Amino acid sequence: MDLSSVFFIGNIMNLERIPNEEKLSLCRRYYLGGFAFLPFLWLVNVLWFFREAFLKPTYTEQLQIKSYVKKSALGLIVWVAVLTTWITIFQHFRAQWGEVGDYLSFTIPLGTA
Amino acid sequence: MQCLSNDGTEVGRHTETTPGRNEVELNGQPPTARPPQVLTDSEEDEDEELTLKYGAKHVIMLFIPVTLCMVVVVATIKSVSFYTQKDGQQLIYTPFREDTETVGQRALNSMLNAAIMISVIVVMTLVLVVLYKYRCYKVIQGWLFFSNLLLLFFFSFIYLGEVFKTYNVAMDYFTLAVIIWNFGVVGMICIHWKGPLRLQQAYLIMISALMALVFIKYLPEWTAWLILAAISVYDLLAVLCPKGPLRILVETAQERNEPIFPALIYSSTMVWLFNMADSAEPRNNSSHPVPQQENQDAVAPTAQPEDDGGFTPAWVNQQQHQLGPMQSTEDSRREIQELPSARPPPVEDEEERGVKLGLGDFIFYSMLVGKASATASGDWNTTIACFVAILIGLCLTLLLLAIFKKALPALPISITFGLVFYFATDNLVRPFMDQLAVHQFYI
Repeated sequence: MDLSSVFFIGNIMNLERIPNEEKLSLCRRYYLGGFAFLPFLWLVNVLWFFREAFLKPTYTEQLQIKSYVKKSALGLIVWVAVLTTWITIFQHFRAQWGEVGDYLSFTIPLGTA
Repeated sequence: MQCLSNDGTEVGRHTETTPGRNEVELNGQPPTARPPQVLTDSEEDEDEELTLKYGAKHVIMLFIPVTLCMVVVVATIKSVSFYTQKDGQQLIYTPFREDTETVGQRALNSMLNAAIMISVIVVMTLVLVVLYKYRCYKVIQGWLFFSNLLLLFFFSFIYLGEVFKTYNVAMDYFTLAVIIWNFGVVGMICIHWKGPLRLQQAYLIMISALMALVFIKYLPEWTAWLILAAISVYDLLAVLCPKGPLRILVETAQERNEPIFPALIYSSTMVWLFNMADSAEPRNNSSHPVPQQENQDAVAPTAQPEDDGGFTPAWVNQQQHQLGPMQSTEDSRREIQELPSARPPPVEDEEERGVKLGLGDFIFYSMLVGKASATASGDWNTTIACFVAILIGLCLTLLLLAIFKKALPALPISITFGLVFYFATDNLVRPFMDQLAVHQFYI
Protein backbone atom coordinates (compact mmCIF):
# COMPACT_ATOMS: atom_id res chain seq x y z
CA MET A 1 0.00 0.00 0.00
CA ASP A 2 1.27 3.31 -0.98
CA LEU A 3 1.41 6.17 1.40
CA SER A 4 0.76 9.24 -0.57
CA SER A 5 0.78 11.55 2.33
CA VAL A 6 1.09 11.09 5.98
CA PHE A 7 0.36 13.59 8.54
CA PHE A 8 0.20 13.25 12.20
CA ILE A 9 -2.04 15.23 14.28
CA GLY A 10 -1.05 16.22 17.68
CA ASN A 11 1.91 15.47 19.75
CA ILE A 12 4.55 12.95 19.15
CA MET A 13 4.67 9.88 21.18
CA ASN A 14 6.35 7.52 18.93
CA LEU A 15 9.50 8.73 17.34
CA GLU A 16 9.46 5.70 15.11
CA ARG A 17 6.75 7.10 13.01
CA ILE A 18 8.11 10.38 11.95
CA PRO A 19 10.62 10.82 9.18
CA ASN A 20 14.24 11.36 10.06
CA GLU A 21 14.36 14.94 8.94
CA GLU A 22 11.53 15.68 11.32
CA LYS A 23 13.38 14.04 14.15
CA LEU A 24 16.46 16.09 13.43
CA SER A 25 14.48 19.26 13.23
CA LEU A 26 12.74 18.50 16.50
CA CYS A 27 15.98 17.66 18.25
CA ARG A 28 17.56 20.82 16.97
CA ARG A 29 14.65 22.96 18.10
CA TYR A 30 14.70 21.47 21.55
CA TYR A 31 18.43 22.09 21.71
CA LEU A 32 18.13 25.69 20.63
CA GLY A 33 15.18 26.27 22.91
CA GLY A 34 17.19 25.20 25.89
CA PHE A 35 19.31 28.31 25.62
CA ALA A 36 16.44 30.35 26.95
CA PHE A 37 17.31 29.32 30.49
CA LEU A 38 15.60 25.99 30.02
CA PRO A 39 17.77 23.15 31.28
CA PHE A 40 14.61 21.09 31.67
CA LEU A 41 14.16 21.26 27.93
CA TRP A 42 17.67 19.95 27.48
CA LEU A 43 16.91 17.14 29.88
CA VAL A 44 13.82 16.21 27.90
CA ASN A 45 15.86 16.36 24.73
CA VAL A 46 18.49 14.02 26.10
CA LEU A 47 16.03 11.51 27.47
CA TRP A 48 13.77 11.53 24.48
CA PHE A 49 16.38 11.28 21.77
CA PHE A 50 18.84 9.11 23.62
CA ARG A 51 17.58 5.94 22.08
CA GLU A 52 17.41 7.51 18.66
CA ALA A 53 20.92 8.80 18.82
CA PHE A 54 22.79 5.94 20.38
CA LEU A 55 20.87 2.74 20.30
CA LYS A 56 19.53 2.70 16.80
CA PRO A 57 21.18 1.51 13.63
CA THR A 58 22.81 4.34 11.78
CA TYR A 59 20.96 6.55 9.42
CA THR A 60 21.92 9.76 7.76
CA GLU A 61 20.72 12.26 10.31
CA GLN A 62 21.80 10.25 13.28
CA LEU A 63 25.19 11.88 13.50
CA GLN A 64 23.69 15.31 13.86
CA ILE A 65 21.10 14.10 16.34
CA LYS A 66 23.92 12.58 18.35
CA SER A 67 25.75 15.86 18.42
CA TYR A 68 22.66 17.73 19.56
CA VAL A 69 22.00 15.22 22.30
CA LYS A 70 25.59 15.48 23.48
CA LYS A 71 25.52 19.25 23.48
CA SER A 72 22.22 19.25 25.35
CA ALA A 73 23.68 16.91 27.93
CA LEU A 74 26.66 19.18 28.31
CA GLY A 75 24.50 22.22 28.80
CA LEU A 76 22.40 20.34 31.28
CA ILE A 77 25.42 19.35 33.34
CA VAL A 78 26.63 22.95 33.41
CA TRP A 79 23.23 24.17 34.60
CA VAL A 80 22.99 21.49 37.26
CA ALA A 81 26.44 22.43 38.55
CA VAL A 82 25.60 26.12 38.69
CA LEU A 83 22.26 25.56 40.38
CA THR A 84 23.66 23.13 42.92
CA THR A 85 26.42 25.54 43.82
CA TRP A 86 24.03 28.43 44.20
CA ILE A 87 21.54 26.44 46.25
CA THR A 88 24.23 25.15 48.55
CA ILE A 89 25.60 28.62 49.09
CA PHE A 90 22.18 30.05 49.65
CA GLN A 91 20.97 27.43 52.09
CA HIS A 92 24.18 27.54 54.05
CA PHE A 93 24.65 31.26 54.33
CA ARG A 94 21.11 32.51 54.21
CA ALA A 95 20.77 33.07 57.90
CA GLN A 96 24.12 34.84 58.11
CA TRP A 97 23.34 37.25 55.35
CA GLY A 98 20.70 38.94 57.38
CA GLU A 99 18.71 41.37 55.42
CA VAL A 100 20.01 40.39 52.03
CA GLY A 101 19.12 36.80 52.80
CA ASP A 102 15.57 37.72 53.61
CA TYR A 103 15.29 39.82 50.54
CA LEU A 104 16.35 36.93 48.37
CA SER A 105 14.04 34.49 50.05
CA PHE A 106 10.72 33.49 48.72
CA THR A 107 9.83 31.45 51.75
CA ILE A 108 11.50 31.76 55.07
CA PRO A 109 11.42 28.76 57.33
CA LEU A 110 9.98 29.32 60.74
CA GLY A 111 11.70 28.55 63.95
CA THR A 112 15.29 28.78 62.83
CA ALA A 113 17.71 31.56 63.51
CA MET B 1 -8.28 40.80 27.55
CA GLN B 2 -9.98 38.08 29.34
CA CYS B 3 -9.24 39.39 32.75
CA LEU B 4 -12.22 40.99 34.29
CA SER B 5 -14.51 39.45 31.79
CA ASN B 6 -17.25 37.53 33.24
CA ASP B 7 -16.50 34.18 31.91
CA GLY B 8 -17.55 31.18 33.72
CA THR B 9 -16.73 27.67 34.08
CA GLU B 10 -18.16 25.68 31.41
CA VAL B 11 -18.17 22.08 31.34
CA GLY B 12 -19.45 19.80 28.81
CA ARG B 13 -18.38 16.40 28.31
CA HIS B 14 -19.14 13.74 26.05
CA THR B 15 -17.44 10.86 24.67
CA GLU B 16 -17.16 10.28 21.06
CA THR B 17 -16.82 6.96 19.65
CA THR B 18 -15.98 5.74 16.29
CA PRO B 19 -18.65 3.74 14.68
CA GLY B 20 -17.58 0.38 13.61
CA ARG B 21 -17.12 -0.56 10.09
CA ASN B 22 -20.51 -1.99 9.78
CA GLU B 23 -22.42 0.88 11.25
CA VAL B 24 -24.62 3.52 9.85
CA GLU B 25 -23.31 6.93 9.15
CA LEU B 26 -22.95 9.39 11.89
CA ASN B 27 -25.59 11.92 12.55
CA GLY B 28 -25.90 14.70 10.14
CA GLN B 29 -23.53 13.26 7.68
CA PRO B 30 -24.93 12.01 4.43
CA PRO B 31 -23.68 8.60 3.57
CA THR B 32 -20.73 8.89 1.35
CA ALA B 33 -19.60 6.37 -1.08
CA ARG B 34 -18.23 3.51 0.83
CA PRO B 35 -15.80 1.06 -0.47
CA PRO B 36 -17.45 -2.28 -0.80
CA GLN B 37 -17.11 -4.09 2.46
CA VAL B 38 -17.87 -7.65 2.67
CA LEU B 39 -18.21 -8.79 6.20
CA THR B 40 -19.18 -12.23 7.05
CA ASP B 41 -20.79 -13.13 10.31
CA SER B 42 -17.65 -14.52 11.76
CA GLU B 43 -15.82 -11.33 10.92
CA GLU B 44 -18.47 -9.36 12.71
CA ASP B 45 -18.14 -11.52 15.77
CA GLU B 46 -14.44 -11.14 15.70
CA ASP B 47 -14.90 -7.46 15.39
CA GLU B 48 -17.10 -7.40 18.45
CA GLU B 49 -14.63 -9.41 20.40
CA LEU B 50 -11.79 -7.21 19.42
CA THR B 51 -13.88 -4.20 20.26
CA LEU B 52 -14.53 -5.43 23.74
CA LYS B 53 -10.99 -6.51 24.21
CA TYR B 54 -9.63 -3.16 23.21
CA GLY B 55 -12.32 -1.51 25.22
CA ALA B 56 -11.14 -3.33 28.30
CA LYS B 57 -7.57 -2.35 27.63
CA HIS B 58 -8.55 1.25 27.32
CA VAL B 59 -10.45 1.18 30.56
CA ILE B 60 -7.25 0.17 32.26
CA MET B 61 -5.35 2.80 30.37
CA LEU B 62 -7.65 5.43 31.73
CA PHE B 63 -7.59 4.15 35.28
CA ILE B 64 -3.99 5.06 35.73
CA PRO B 65 -4.12 8.77 34.93
CA VAL B 66 -7.40 9.26 36.77
CA THR B 67 -5.94 7.53 39.81
CA LEU B 68 -2.75 9.54 39.58
CA CYS B 69 -4.64 12.79 39.44
CA MET B 70 -6.71 11.85 42.45
CA VAL B 71 -3.64 10.72 44.34
CA VAL B 72 -1.94 14.05 43.71
CA VAL B 73 -4.99 15.97 44.86
CA VAL B 74 -5.54 13.87 47.99
CA ALA B 75 -1.84 13.97 48.88
CA THR B 76 -1.82 17.73 48.57
CA ILE B 77 -4.99 18.15 50.57
CA LYS B 78 -3.66 15.98 53.34
CA SER B 79 -0.30 17.63 53.60
CA VAL B 80 -0.65 21.24 52.53
CA SER B 81 -3.18 22.86 54.79
CA PHE B 82 -3.53 25.88 52.53
CA TYR B 83 -6.04 24.15 50.34
CA THR B 84 -8.39 23.30 53.15
CA GLN B 85 -8.22 26.66 54.86
CA LYS B 86 -11.18 28.81 54.16
CA ASP B 87 -9.80 32.30 53.91
CA GLY B 88 -13.20 33.72 53.33
CA GLN B 89 -12.38 34.38 49.72
CA GLN B 90 -14.63 32.99 47.13
CA LEU B 91 -14.73 32.99 43.39
CA ILE B 92 -16.72 35.75 41.86
CA TYR B 93 -19.03 33.19 40.36
CA THR B 94 -20.20 32.17 43.78
CA PRO B 95 -21.01 35.44 45.43
CA PHE B 96 -23.32 34.20 48.13
CA ARG B 97 -21.75 33.28 51.38
CA GLU B 98 -22.54 30.17 53.29
CA ASP B 99 -21.80 31.31 56.79
CA THR B 100 -25.37 32.37 57.38
CA GLU B 101 -27.46 32.03 60.46
CA THR B 102 -30.11 29.63 59.40
CA VAL B 103 -29.87 26.41 57.55
CA GLY B 104 -32.55 27.51 55.14
CA GLN B 105 -30.60 30.61 54.25
CA ARG B 106 -27.51 28.55 53.68
CA ALA B 107 -29.36 26.15 51.45
CA LEU B 108 -30.77 29.01 49.45
CA ASN B 109 -27.40 30.68 49.07
CA SER B 110 -25.69 27.55 47.94
CA MET B 111 -28.41 26.83 45.41
CA LEU B 112 -28.07 30.32 44.03
CA ASN B 113 -24.31 29.92 43.83
CA ALA B 114 -24.65 26.68 41.97
CA ALA B 115 -27.22 28.18 39.65
CA ILE B 116 -24.94 31.07 38.80
CA MET B 117 -22.00 28.80 38.18
CA ILE B 118 -23.98 26.47 35.98
CA SER B 119 -25.44 29.27 33.95
CA VAL B 120 -21.99 30.68 33.44
CA ILE B 121 -20.92 27.28 32.20
CA VAL B 122 -23.88 27.04 29.88
CA VAL B 123 -23.09 30.44 28.46
CA MET B 124 -19.50 29.48 27.90
CA THR B 125 -20.51 26.30 26.13
CA LEU B 126 -22.80 28.25 23.86
CA VAL B 127 -20.08 30.78 23.15
CA LEU B 128 -17.81 27.93 22.26
CA VAL B 129 -20.37 26.44 19.91
CA VAL B 130 -20.92 29.77 18.24
CA LEU B 131 -17.22 30.41 17.89
CA TYR B 132 -16.74 27.01 16.42
CA LYS B 133 -19.64 27.34 14.03
CA TYR B 134 -18.34 30.58 12.71
CA ARG B 135 -14.87 29.21 12.39
CA CYS B 136 -13.21 31.56 14.84
CA TYR B 137 -10.56 29.00 15.51
CA LYS B 138 -7.90 31.50 16.39
CA VAL B 139 -9.97 32.88 19.21
CA ILE B 140 -10.47 29.45 20.69
CA GLN B 141 -6.84 28.55 20.34
CA GLY B 142 -5.74 31.78 21.89
CA TRP B 143 -8.14 31.24 24.75
CA LEU B 144 -6.82 27.79 25.45
CA PHE B 145 -3.27 28.98 25.19
CA PHE B 146 -3.87 31.80 27.60
CA SER B 147 -5.63 29.67 30.15
CA ASN B 148 -2.90 27.07 30.04
CA LEU B 149 -0.39 29.82 30.55
CA LEU B 150 -2.27 30.89 33.64
CA LEU B 151 -2.44 27.40 35.04
CA LEU B 152 1.11 26.45 34.34
CA PHE B 153 2.68 29.58 35.71
CA PHE B 154 0.48 31.29 38.21
CA PHE B 155 -1.27 28.40 39.89
CA SER B 156 1.82 26.28 40.05
CA PHE B 157 3.68 29.23 41.55
CA ILE B 158 1.13 29.40 44.34
CA TYR B 159 1.18 25.65 44.76
CA LEU B 160 4.95 25.53 45.01
CA GLY B 161 4.96 28.37 47.51
CA GLU B 162 2.48 26.60 49.72
CA VAL B 163 4.36 23.32 49.54
CA PHE B 164 7.57 25.05 50.57
CA LYS B 165 5.82 26.74 53.44
CA THR B 166 4.38 23.47 54.60
CA TYR B 167 7.72 21.74 54.65
CA ASN B 168 9.49 24.77 56.07
CA VAL B 169 12.00 25.00 53.29
CA ALA B 170 13.83 28.17 52.41
CA MET B 171 13.71 29.08 48.79
CA ASP B 172 15.26 31.99 47.00
CA TYR B 173 13.73 33.85 44.16
CA PHE B 174 16.35 32.90 41.65
CA THR B 175 15.93 29.15 41.99
CA LEU B 176 12.20 29.56 42.17
CA ALA B 177 12.17 31.57 38.97
CA VAL B 178 14.21 28.92 37.20
CA ILE B 179 11.91 26.17 38.40
CA ILE B 180 8.67 27.89 37.49
CA TRP B 181 10.00 29.12 34.18
CA ASN B 182 11.18 25.65 33.17
CA PHE B 183 8.05 23.94 34.36
CA GLY B 184 5.79 26.38 32.58
CA VAL B 185 7.59 26.66 29.27
CA VAL B 186 8.21 22.95 28.85
CA GLY B 187 4.57 22.38 29.75
CA MET B 188 3.36 24.79 27.10
CA ILE B 189 5.65 23.18 24.56
CA CYS B 190 4.49 19.68 25.38
CA ILE B 191 0.83 20.49 25.40
CA HIS B 192 0.55 22.92 22.54
CA TRP B 193 3.32 21.83 20.29
CA LYS B 194 5.20 18.58 20.18
CA GLY B 195 6.61 16.61 22.97
CA PRO B 196 6.96 13.16 24.37
CA LEU B 197 3.60 11.64 25.12
CA ARG B 198 4.38 10.62 28.68
CA LEU B 199 5.46 14.12 29.55
CA GLN B 200 2.35 15.58 27.99
CA GLN B 201 0.17 13.18 29.94
CA ALA B 202 2.00 14.07 33.13
CA TYR B 203 1.46 17.77 32.52
CA LEU B 204 -2.22 17.30 31.81
CA ILE B 205 -2.61 15.37 35.02
CA MET B 206 -0.81 18.09 36.93
CA ILE B 207 -2.89 20.92 35.58
CA SER B 208 -6.08 19.01 36.22
CA ALA B 209 -4.96 18.47 39.79
CA LEU B 210 -4.15 22.17 40.16
CA MET B 211 -7.57 23.13 38.88
CA ALA B 212 -9.28 20.68 41.20
CA LEU B 213 -7.35 22.12 44.13
CA VAL B 214 -8.45 25.63 43.22
CA PHE B 215 -12.05 24.48 43.17
CA ILE B 216 -11.72 22.70 46.47
CA LYS B 217 -10.27 25.75 48.10
CA TYR B 218 -12.55 28.40 46.75
CA LEU B 219 -15.93 26.75 46.58
CA PRO B 220 -17.90 26.65 49.81
CA GLU B 221 -19.20 23.32 51.05
CA TRP B 222 -22.74 22.93 49.94
CA THR B 223 -22.12 24.88 46.77
CA ALA B 224 -19.44 22.44 45.74
CA TRP B 225 -21.65 19.40 46.10
CA LEU B 226 -24.53 21.07 44.36
CA ILE B 227 -22.28 22.11 41.51
CA LEU B 228 -21.04 18.57 41.09
CA ALA B 229 -24.56 17.27 40.87
CA ALA B 230 -25.69 20.03 38.55
CA ILE B 231 -22.70 19.62 36.25
CA SER B 232 -23.49 15.96 35.80
CA VAL B 233 -27.04 16.74 34.85
CA TYR B 234 -25.93 19.44 32.48
CA ASP B 235 -23.39 17.14 30.93
CA LEU B 236 -26.06 14.55 30.35
CA LEU B 237 -28.37 17.03 28.74
CA ALA B 238 -25.80 18.82 26.68
CA VAL B 239 -24.47 15.68 25.13
CA LEU B 240 -27.54 13.57 24.62
CA CYS B 241 -30.32 16.00 23.80
CA PRO B 242 -30.70 16.70 20.12
CA LYS B 243 -30.37 20.42 20.66
CA GLY B 244 -27.64 20.18 23.22
CA PRO B 245 -24.74 22.48 22.52
CA LEU B 246 -22.15 19.79 22.72
CA ARG B 247 -24.03 17.59 20.39
CA ILE B 248 -24.33 20.42 17.91
CA LEU B 249 -20.62 20.93 18.20
CA VAL B 250 -19.93 17.32 17.47
CA GLU B 251 -22.21 17.27 14.51
CA THR B 252 -20.71 20.42 13.10
CA ALA B 253 -17.28 18.94 13.41
CA GLN B 254 -18.43 15.81 11.69
CA GLU B 255 -20.07 17.73 8.89
CA ARG B 256 -16.91 19.61 8.27
CA ASN B 257 -14.90 16.46 8.48
CA GLU B 258 -12.22 18.18 10.33
CA PRO B 259 -10.36 17.50 13.48
CA ILE B 260 -11.27 19.75 16.32
CA PHE B 261 -9.03 22.62 17.23
CA PRO B 262 -6.52 22.15 19.99
CA ALA B 263 -8.34 20.26 22.50
CA LEU B 264 -7.09 19.63 25.88
CA ILE B 265 -7.68 16.02 26.18
CA TYR B 266 -5.76 13.32 27.79
CA SER B 267 -4.88 10.67 25.31
CA SER B 268 -3.31 7.37 25.90
CA THR B 269 -1.80 6.98 22.48
CA MET B 270 -1.28 9.04 19.45
CA VAL B 271 -2.91 8.46 16.22
CA TRP B 272 -1.74 8.71 12.71
CA LEU B 273 -3.75 10.00 9.90
CA PHE B 274 -3.01 8.23 6.74
CA ASN B 275 -4.05 9.01 3.30
CA MET B 276 -3.49 5.98 1.29
CA ALA B 277 -3.79 6.59 -2.35
CA ASP B 278 -4.72 3.20 -3.53
CA SER B 279 -6.27 1.81 -0.44
CA ALA B 280 -9.97 1.36 -0.34
CA GLU B 281 -10.45 2.62 3.14
CA PRO B 282 -8.66 5.63 4.33
CA ARG B 283 -8.19 5.22 7.97
CA ASN B 284 -8.49 8.38 9.84
CA ASN B 285 -8.30 8.87 13.45
CA SER B 286 -7.94 12.32 14.63
CA SER B 287 -7.50 11.80 18.24
CA HIS B 288 -5.32 14.78 18.72
CA PRO B 289 -6.23 17.67 16.58
CA VAL B 290 -3.10 19.53 15.95
CA PRO B 291 -3.03 22.93 17.53
CA GLN B 292 -1.49 24.83 14.76
CA GLN B 293 -1.62 22.90 11.64
CA GLU B 294 0.12 25.59 9.75
CA ASN B 295 3.17 25.06 11.86
CA GLN B 296 3.64 21.56 10.73
CA ASP B 297 6.48 22.13 8.37
CA ALA B 298 7.15 18.67 7.23
CA VAL B 299 3.57 17.73 7.11
CA ALA B 300 1.15 17.74 4.28
CA PRO B 301 -1.43 20.32 5.10
CA THR B 302 -4.26 18.85 3.17
CA ALA B 303 -6.93 17.13 5.10
CA GLN B 304 -8.48 14.33 3.26
CA PRO B 305 -12.13 13.82 3.78
CA GLU B 306 -12.78 10.89 5.94
CA ASP B 307 -15.42 8.84 4.44
CA ASP B 308 -15.63 5.78 6.45
CA GLY B 309 -16.35 4.78 9.97
CA GLY B 310 -12.82 5.38 11.01
CA PHE B 311 -13.49 9.03 11.42
CA THR B 312 -13.37 10.05 14.99
CA PRO B 313 -13.73 13.66 15.71
CA ALA B 314 -11.77 14.57 18.71
CA TRP B 315 -14.24 16.30 20.75
CA VAL B 316 -13.83 18.14 23.83
CA ASN B 317 -15.62 20.62 25.86
CA GLN B 318 -13.87 23.41 27.38
CA GLN B 319 -13.98 24.36 30.86
CA GLN B 320 -13.05 27.57 32.25
CA HIS B 321 -11.65 28.15 35.57
CA GLN B 322 -11.66 31.35 37.29
CA LEU B 323 -9.18 33.15 39.31
CA GLY B 324 -10.74 34.00 42.56
CA PRO B 325 -8.15 35.78 44.64
CA MET B 326 -7.19 38.26 42.04
CA GLN B 327 -10.67 39.59 41.70
CA SER B 328 -10.29 39.10 38.04
CA THR B 329 -11.46 36.20 36.10
CA GLU B 330 -9.40 34.40 33.67
CA ASP B 331 -10.90 31.40 32.19
CA SER B 332 -9.47 28.47 30.67
CA ARG B 333 -11.30 25.91 28.90
CA ARG B 334 -10.85 22.34 28.89
CA GLU B 335 -12.28 20.28 26.26
CA ILE B 336 -13.05 16.81 26.91
CA GLN B 337 -13.33 13.99 24.77
CA GLU B 338 -13.62 10.45 25.34
CA LEU B 339 -12.87 8.37 22.46
CA PRO B 340 -12.51 4.70 22.67
CA SER B 341 -10.74 2.99 19.95
CA ALA B 342 -13.27 0.47 18.87
CA ARG B 343 -11.27 -0.90 16.04
CA PRO B 344 -8.28 -3.10 15.98
CA PRO B 345 -5.40 -1.74 13.97
CA PRO B 346 -6.30 -2.87 10.50
CA VAL B 347 -3.02 -2.51 8.71
CA GLU B 348 0.47 -2.66 10.00
CA ASP B 349 1.05 1.01 9.47
CA GLU B 350 -1.68 2.33 11.59
CA GLU B 351 -1.36 3.22 15.18
CA GLU B 352 -3.93 1.93 17.49
CA ARG B 353 -6.29 4.55 18.54
CA GLY B 354 -6.02 5.51 22.08
CA VAL B 355 -8.67 6.42 24.53
CA LYS B 356 -9.17 9.97 25.37
CA LEU B 357 -10.77 11.53 28.33
CA GLY B 358 -11.38 15.17 28.75
CA LEU B 359 -9.59 17.21 31.32
CA GLY B 360 -12.81 18.48 32.81
CA ASP B 361 -13.61 14.94 33.81
CA PHE B 362 -10.28 14.64 35.55
CA ILE B 363 -10.89 17.87 37.34
CA PHE B 364 -14.31 17.01 38.65
CA TYR B 365 -13.41 13.48 39.64
CA SER B 366 -10.42 14.73 41.56
CA MET B 367 -12.45 17.50 43.08
CA LEU B 368 -14.95 15.01 44.42
CA VAL B 369 -12.33 12.76 45.93
CA GLY B 370 -10.37 15.74 47.23
CA LYS B 371 -13.39 17.16 48.99
CA ALA B 372 -14.13 13.75 50.42
CA SER B 373 -10.67 13.56 51.92
CA ALA B 374 -10.79 17.15 53.12
CA THR B 375 -14.10 17.37 54.82
CA ALA B 376 -15.45 13.93 55.46
CA SER B 377 -15.74 12.78 58.99
CA GLY B 378 -15.09 9.26 57.84
CA ASP B 379 -11.83 10.40 56.35
CA TRP B 380 -9.99 7.59 54.61
CA ASN B 381 -13.02 5.33 54.50
CA THR B 382 -14.95 7.92 52.62
CA THR B 383 -12.05 8.87 50.39
CA ILE B 384 -11.45 5.34 49.27
CA ALA B 385 -15.14 4.69 48.84
CA CYS B 386 -15.47 7.70 46.55
CA PHE B 387 -12.39 6.68 44.64
CA VAL B 388 -13.78 3.22 43.99
CA ALA B 389 -17.15 4.66 43.08
CA ILE B 390 -15.65 6.94 40.46
CA LEU B 391 -13.63 4.17 38.91
CA ILE B 392 -16.69 1.94 38.73
CA GLY B 393 -18.58 4.77 37.09
CA LEU B 394 -15.78 5.20 34.58
CA CYS B 395 -15.86 1.52 33.73
CA LEU B 396 -19.57 1.62 33.19
CA THR B 397 -19.32 4.69 31.04
CA LEU B 398 -16.72 3.10 28.83
CA LEU B 399 -18.78 -0.02 28.61
CA LEU B 400 -21.78 1.95 27.49
CA LEU B 401 -19.56 3.71 25.03
CA ALA B 402 -18.48 0.43 23.53
CA ILE B 403 -22.08 -0.67 23.29
CA PHE B 404 -23.71 2.45 21.99
CA LYS B 405 -20.86 3.81 19.93
CA LYS B 406 -21.92 7.36 20.18
CA ALA B 407 -21.05 10.41 22.14
CA LEU B 408 -21.63 9.90 25.80
CA PRO B 409 -21.11 12.16 28.77
CA ALA B 410 -18.40 10.94 31.06
CA LEU B 411 -19.50 12.67 34.22
CA PRO B 412 -22.98 11.59 35.23
CA ILE B 413 -22.49 7.99 36.19
CA SER B 414 -19.23 8.48 38.05
CA ILE B 415 -20.29 11.61 39.87
CA THR B 416 -23.60 10.07 40.87
CA PHE B 417 -21.90 7.03 42.30
CA GLY B 418 -19.31 9.23 43.95
CA LEU B 419 -21.90 11.44 45.59
CA VAL B 420 -23.99 8.51 46.73
CA PHE B 421 -20.99 6.75 48.19
CA TYR B 422 -19.76 9.92 49.86
CA PHE B 423 -22.96 10.71 51.68
CA ALA B 424 -23.72 7.11 52.44
CA THR B 425 -20.27 6.35 53.79
CA ASP B 426 -20.07 9.51 55.76
CA ASN B 427 -23.44 9.23 57.35
CA LEU B 428 -24.06 5.52 57.56
CA VAL B 429 -20.91 3.50 57.35
CA ARG B 430 -18.70 5.63 59.51
CA PRO B 431 -20.92 5.77 62.56
CA PHE B 432 -21.45 2.07 62.15
CA MET B 433 -17.71 1.40 62.14
CA ASP B 434 -17.24 3.70 65.09
CA GLN B 435 -19.85 1.89 67.12
CA LEU B 436 -18.29 -1.43 66.25
CA ALA B 437 -14.92 -0.16 67.35
CA VAL B 438 -16.34 1.21 70.58
CA HIS B 439 -17.86 -2.11 71.41
CA GLN B 440 -14.82 -4.00 70.17
CA PHE B 441 -16.92 -6.03 67.84
CA TYR B 442 -15.00 -7.14 64.80
CA ILE B 443 -16.70 -8.24 61.70
